[in-house]
Amino acid sequence: MTDKTFEFTRRTFLDRVLMASAGGVMATATPWAAIAARAESAGAGKVRLGVIGTGDRGRALIQNIAKTRNCTVAAICDNYAPHLAKARQWVAAGTAEFSDHRKMLEARGLDAVVIATPLHRHAQHTFDAMDAGLHVWCEKAMARTIADCGAMVERARTCGKVLQIGHQRMFHPTYLNAWRRVKAGEIGTVTQIRASWHRNNAWRRPVPADSDDRRINWRLYRESSAGLMTELATHQLQVGNWFLDAVPTRVIGSGSICFWKDGREVYDHVALIYEYAGGRKLIYTSLLNNARYGCEEQIQGSKGTIEPELGRIYQEVPPRSLALQRMQADVKRGHKRTIPIGGATWFPELPVTTPGESLGWGEYDETMLQFEGFGEAVRSGKPLPGLLQQAYNASVASLLGEQAMDRGEAVAWPTSLVTV
Amino acid sequence: MGTRVELYRFGDGAADALALAQRAIEQVDDALTIHRPSAATALNEALRRGETGVIDDPLLLDALIRIDDARAMTERLFDPTVDMRRATVRWERLRFDRSAATLACDAPAALDFGGFGKGYALDRAVTALRDAGVACALLSAGESSMAVIGEHPLGGAWSFAVPDPRDADRTLVEVALIDEALSISSTLGLGLAAPERAAMVRPGRSAAVVAPRSAVVVDASGAVAEMLSTALIVADDEAAQRLQDGVRRMLFDLAPAAPTRIFA
Repeated sequence: MTDKTFEFTRRTFLDRVLMASAGGVMATATPWAAIAARAESAGAGKVRLGVIGTGDRGRALIQNIAKTRNCTVAAICDNYAPHLAKARQWVAAGTAEFSDHRKMLEARGLDAVVIATPLHRHAQHTFDAMDAGLHVWCEKAMARTIADCGAMVERARTCGKVLQIGHQRMFHPTYLNAWRRVKAGEIGTVTQIRASWHRNNAWRRPVPADSDDRRINWRLYRESSAGLMTELATHQLQVGNWFLDAVPTRVIGSGSICFWKDGREVYDHVALIYEYAGGRKLIYTSLLNNARYGCEEQIQGSKGTIEPELGRIYQEVPPRSLALQRMQADVKRGHKRTIPIGGATWFPELPVTTPGESLGWGEYDETMLQFEGFGEAVRSGKPLPGLLQQAYNASVASLLGEQAMDRGEAVAWPTSLVTV
Repeated sequence: MGTRVELYRFGDGAADALALAQRAIEQVDDALTIHRPSAATALNEALRRGETGVIDDPLLLDALIRIDDARAMTERLFDPTVDMRRATVRWERLRFDRSAATLACDAPAALDFGGFGKGYALDRAVTALRDAGVACALLSAGESSMAVIGEHPLGGAWSFAVPDPRDADRTLVEVALIDEALSISSTLGLGLAAPERAAMVRPGRSAAVVAPRSAVVVDASGAVAEMLSTALIVADDEAAQRLQDGVRRMLFDLAPAAPTRIFA
């Protein structure tokens, strides 16, 4: 892609975000998107970011930061040298490198840090960065425990720093447009969301000779991750809370190591029901040995369904009755004949296979946009409104789901959460 | 209502006649639905708790009076009562006080207006259209409940072909209507193997009616046609014969060996 082409598609993407987030209700309900889309080019005054963790995800983030108008990677840090070496190609020559994040923080010259380390390290890295006077952008989920999630929120408040968590769907024009259409009542009353993230792979990375499994495959071990819940479900639980405009009242679930019996400690099969006020539900499944239904959220209302990952909206109204329409046409042309009607025939209630209508607007890199939003937040010293609340609730929901599965009983939404 | 309602008007009448008819149908749905909070669900909640339900919705009260009035006509075979424990609670066990607009029961019970609601809604819509000066119209609720006002726009009766539920390509019977309503009920769908959406239960018994039956009833009232077509489905052969009173047209039964088989 040439720079010119990129600028064009970028402009198109931002226009779509602005269109999706325009209007009184959207401006109030999703202000973060418009703020991010209006970010201005900063020239030499770009927000200087230090990236802690340059594994696969960290390097992907670095590439997205490079596309932004207002952020630049000023330092990279990883305690595993091969990761650092791989990241070098994506940053400017001479970018400072560190193997210890504390050294990077002490070196100064940064406005904020980006944390893309294993989940159980997020909280400590956040504390250290904020204690060093820096703002923080952290990968989701927030932390390994609900207590640490709350502590991160508290630390941001006491330090007066921005804490932003990576929930890029909140910046995606298709999701923003879907949310707008739900709020406009186009699919009626939403009573259920079915969400799934199904893959067919071991989720296991090869372990180099100079490392070990717990370090490379930290997602598979309880100490460092809640597995599918914190690494995948968090995104969709955020979507569920967002579209249902609430947090769950309680969660029940079942988890198992059902297929990949390879010594991992986290579930490879999870199925949960999150209950919301008024009898509404989010039904969630994630597994690692069948990819047929992939990643999707089905937002189900009394008048229709939205599937944002597919970018489709489906109406509940059945196909129009051709017989009665034909009768009307017959009358107009003066032709009278017997009208065939449907009678009491009962049709099996099979899934609707109509293609639906496009929600519009395909993929672009919303991850880039969330960094532009973060850049604006760092410049102003004010967090993008609403984001941290969504992230905190999503992380709590994912960890609560883990508890429900571990205990084999319903777990109520905690009453002792911190106020965001 | 969970049903596709279609209204077609022809000729004279007020410009907003269809809107008035639609509103009439929505009002019935709002009062009788049990799929969202309504006057009916509030009444059901009271019955479930063993309390006397106060009926403060005039449409719900009117519906209950019509159902109560139709008990003898349907040989008590149309029964909106849903037994919360066993299929032993029937309408007669409820204490319906029309003047006080209350309903009570000494056992947990609930009401389900399926088998009545669509026809009743069409009746209300027909009245709204007539009041708006419409003299020619066709109304459909899911194509299993139809009503017509006046003659066909081109003259003569409206003629409808009712499909054979065993074979949708075949016509079971043709029915001609003028100022009448039609209700079709059936226990089978597209072929005997088609899954049933809901089972019909004979009042007072817990077993579902499994015989392959279909009933078509024509009456001036959609609600009456609806109740009778439901009653015919759950009636045994003798009761079905008694129900054919000559006042209205009833076309009934698909059971191959049924003595009351009407369809030729």
